[in-house]
Formats: sequence, C-alpha cells, structure tokens
Amino acid sequence: MSYQGTKMNPSKFHRSQLKFYAILIPLAFFMMLPIMFIIFHAFKPIDELFAFPPRFIVQKPTLDNFRELFFTTSTSGIPFSRFIFNSLLVTLSVMFFSVFISSLAAYAMSKMKFKLRKALFEVNTLALMFVPIAVQIPRYLVVVQTGILDTYFAHILPLLAMPIGLFLLKQFIDQVPDELKEAAVIDGASEFTVFRKVIVPVIMPALATVAILAFQAVWNNLETSNYYVNDEGLKTMSFFMSSIASQSGNTVAGQGMSAAASLIMFVPNLIIFILLQSKVMNTMAHSGLK
Amino acid sequence: MARIRLTNKRRKALIGLTFVSPWIVGFLIFTMYPMLHSMFLSFHRVKITPTGIKTTYVGFENYKYAIFSDPAFVEKVLKYLQEMALNVPIIVVFSLIIALLINQKIKFRGLFRTIFFLPVIITSGPVINELLNQGATSIPNIEQYGLFTMIENSLNPVIAEPIMYLFKQIIMVLWFSGVQILIFLAGLQKVDQSIYEAARIDGASSWEIFWKVTLPDLMPLVIVNVIYTIVYVSTFALNEIIILIKNNMFSTITGFGYATAVAWVYFIIIMLMLAIWTGLLSMKKR
Repeated sequence: MSYQGTKMNPSKFHRSQLKFYAILIPLAFFMMLPIMFIIFHAFKPIDELFAFPPRFIVQKPTLDNFRELFFTTSTSGIPFSRFIFNSLLVTLSVMFFSVFISSLAAYAMSKMKFKLRKALFEVNTLALMFVPIAVQIPRYLVVVQTGILDTYFAHILPLLAMPIGLFLLKQFIDQVPDELKEAAVIDGASEFTVFRKVIVPVIMPALATVAILAFQAVWNNLETSNYYVNDEGLKTMSFFMSSIASQSGNTVAGQGMSAAASLIMFVPNLIIFILLQSKVMNTMAHSGLK
Repeated sequence: MARIRLTNKRRKALIGLTFVSPWIVGFLIFTMYPMLHSMFLSFHRVKITPTGIKTTYVGFENYKYAIFSDPAFVEKVLKYLQEMALNVPIIVVFSLIIALLINQKIKFRGLFRTIFFLPVIITSGPVINELLNQGATSIPNIEQYGLFTMIENSLNPVIAEPIMYLFKQIIMVLWFSGVQILIFLAGLQKVDQSIYEAARIDGASSWEIFWKVTLPDLMPLVIVNVIYTIVYVSTFALNEIIILIKNNMFSTITGFGYATAVAWVYFIIIMLMLAIWTGLLSMKKR
C-alpha cells in the first residue's frame, strides 16, 4: 500500500466498494437520527410538539420556541452573558487541565519505570467502575472542607480527575513503541521533552478523544452548579437552561423552550466535535508507527 | 548526616512520580477519599438534617437488605446481567466490523468515520436529555418515532416484532460503540501491511487473514474494548440500577447509606464481570 497520509479517501470509485456502502449507509443513517430529531424538535410549533404519535420531521417550522426562550432569559435577574462566560471558563479550564494532567500521568505510567505505577493504574481502573453518583455527598463534604464552595474552583477541581481519560490515554501510549522514546533519550531529550515532542504528537487522536469526552462531561454538567455553588451569578449555562425548562415545568410553553434550549446547548457539542474529530480521524497515519 | 545518593534508578522513579503527582493529588481528594467515605456511609443509616449529616452505625444491615430483601434491586441486577451477557459481545463485535469496514479504501471514508464517532456526543448530553424530556424513559423508546411506527403499522406483528427488536438493539449498540470503533481503528492502522502482503502471496484468503493475522494482533485491544464497554454501559446515567441508586439517595425510608451500599454491591458485580470477561479472553489467547 502506498503511503497516503492525510489523503484518506481513495480517488476512484470502484464497483467492489458497493458491498461496503450497502452496510455503511443504512447504519450511518441511524446514527444521524437522534441529531436530526433534536434539530427538528426545536423548530416544532406547539401542536406538533404534542402530536401523537410523535412526528420526526417538522411540518411547519417556527422560531417561536427561541423567541419565548430569549424573552424569558432577558427577564431574569442575571445577564445571560454571565452564564455563557461561566460555562466557557469552566469548560475550557477543565478540558485543558484534565487532558494535560491525565496525559502526563498516563505517559509516566506507561513508559517510565517506578514502583507504584502498576498499582496506581489498577486503582484507576477500579475507580472507573464505581458509580459516580454514589460519591455525591462525600464529594460535597470535600468541597465544603477544602473551602472551594461558591467559587469557580468548585466547578473545576472535582471534574479534573477523569479516570476514563487516564485509562484511554494509557492504552494508546502503550501502543507507542519504546524505541521511539529511546531514540529521543539517546539524543539527549529529557522526559518532559520526550512527552511533549514525541508522545503528544503521536497520541493526538487519543488526546482529541479525551478532550471531547471532557468537554461533554463539563459543558453538560449540572451537579456542580446544583450542589457546590449557591451564588446564582456563578452558575453555568447548562444549569440555567435546565432551570428554565423545569421552572416552566409541564406548561405547554415550557416544552417548546426546553426543546430550543437543548438545541442551543447541543450546538457547542457539535462544534467542538467537528473541530476535534479531524484530529481523531487522522489516527496514526503520519506517526511513523507503521 | 549521610548524603542521600540519587542513583540513576531512583532519579528516574522520582521524575515518574513527579509526572503522576498532580493526578494523584486530584484523584485522592476527589475520587479516592469520597469513595472510601461512601463505603463508611454504607455501614450507616444516614439522615440529612438542616444542621448536618447524622449517621448511626447499622453494620451490614444495608447490605443484607439490598441482597436479600429489596425486590427491585435483585430483579434489576438479574436483568442487568442478562443484558450485559448479550450486549457486550454484540457491541465489541459490531465495533470491530465497523472499524474493519471504514478501514477499507472506500470513497467518503473520512465522512463515515466522523459519523460513526458521533455517538460520543449523543449518549452524553442534551440529546439524551431531550429524548428523556419527551417521556422516553429509556433509550429504546426512540422507536416511537417515524420509521419505527411505519414498520409496526405496515407489517404483520409476527414479522414486525423481531425486526423491531433488532432495530432497538442496533440503535443501542450503535450509540455505545463510538470510542470502541476508534480504538480498533487505531489498532488496525498499526498492523504492518507487509504481513498482509506476505499472507496474500502465500495464498491466504481475506477470511483467513482476518482470523490468523488481524484478530490476534487486535486481541489486546479487544480486551481494552470489553473493559471500556462494560464500564461505559454500567455507569451510564440512564442505567436502571443507577436510577435505582439515585432514587434511594434522597428517599426518606432508605436514604443515602442504603444507596451507597447498593452502589458498592453493584461495584463488586461489575468487577466480577470484568474479571470473568478478561479471564475468558486471555485464556483464548493462549
């Protein structure tokens, strides 16, 4: 096979490819369904939102849901931009620091030799299996005791430890041959230089994946705003959006607003995903691992 | 005072620990300690009062109740075990097949890869919430929409039933397989192409190549994916046992102590299942 690098699509279509399409296209269609649903749903007028059986595709698209939502947000005491700022600050810091911390730890556990490394990774895998909500109250107590209650740190610090991130990153770094590191060490590179210049570029797909997962976990997180922060002005957008939906409760207008709010909350997910996925998909094509 | 001699080995160990230390600190404070604390609480009856949290020691009462008396828990665990026995192999095999397919040289390969990685943003976040808000209490309820109603209405129930079941499974499987596909894909791209060429020259069919070359090569990743799948499905926020734990947490009858006991029993079940799966797979490898 010739080296193709980033040019992943072959230039010619061939009949022998048909059998792949026969399987891939229907499945791809199924993957798109939930996303199409959430988009259509936000533009449905009231009678279609409550139609039974529910319709998938919107018949008479309307912007009413969004208008309603913006009206409600403009009447609340705290400016909407404040929530956006909070969410961005919290999400970006967690994304950056958790990816950095986990990849550094994963590198050490995978490629450096010291006593505790096996045990630490085992403990991490065990923690992975523990139901996250069962630690909610103890975690709250930690937040109170460390004095970060009602600060931005209450949003950021509890979410930094991401066992799944460390797990995935270590598996990827394990795949990197030791020779790659040794060559750099012989050239006089320090451990950190090896990490930054050799390992990070090679595991870019894994880093991008973990970054996407971290973004997901934080951007949509309600727990920290609900439990660790009482100051309204420090709460995040996801909290605000969900409180709008629950305040107007089961009212007819509430349904429309929550559909619109979901779409607004979902769009950043999609944007981050599209931005990072090109890195994910390039996998190990030009890493010198082949 | 004797000077501590920093041998090369010790120096290396020190650098290693420095790299891990930020993670250790965060992990100890926000994961390990809360876990241990929840274990402590699981042996107590926990009352949340305006002045603080009151605990009374009850020994193994919570555990006994969960395992022997709580009908909801036992029933859900059995159902969960059944589902896991079916779904884990389906998800792993499916993601392997998809990874093999999108590793082929076909047109729009990049697009397909993107689409099959989408579940990562579907199963967490507002999409699922929205589906929940629509009164779809479990994921499979999406079948109410569009196409599924069509199938149900236009076909004889005898034929429609298995098709519906398959569709439900497909959706479940698709939604849970994003990261697994990626892991396999990364592994597939690493397989040395010259081995394939050599095998082909020796007259091996693609089928033989898959079983004799590709699969053994991917075996460590199969185990990784089995672990990931079990963990992901088991700790997914809409998992029935998790919902049960959540409901118990603020219930006035059972309370947080009981909820943590259930969580620990569940934790042990997940651990056993992982041990069995990885044991089976590494036995096959030998």
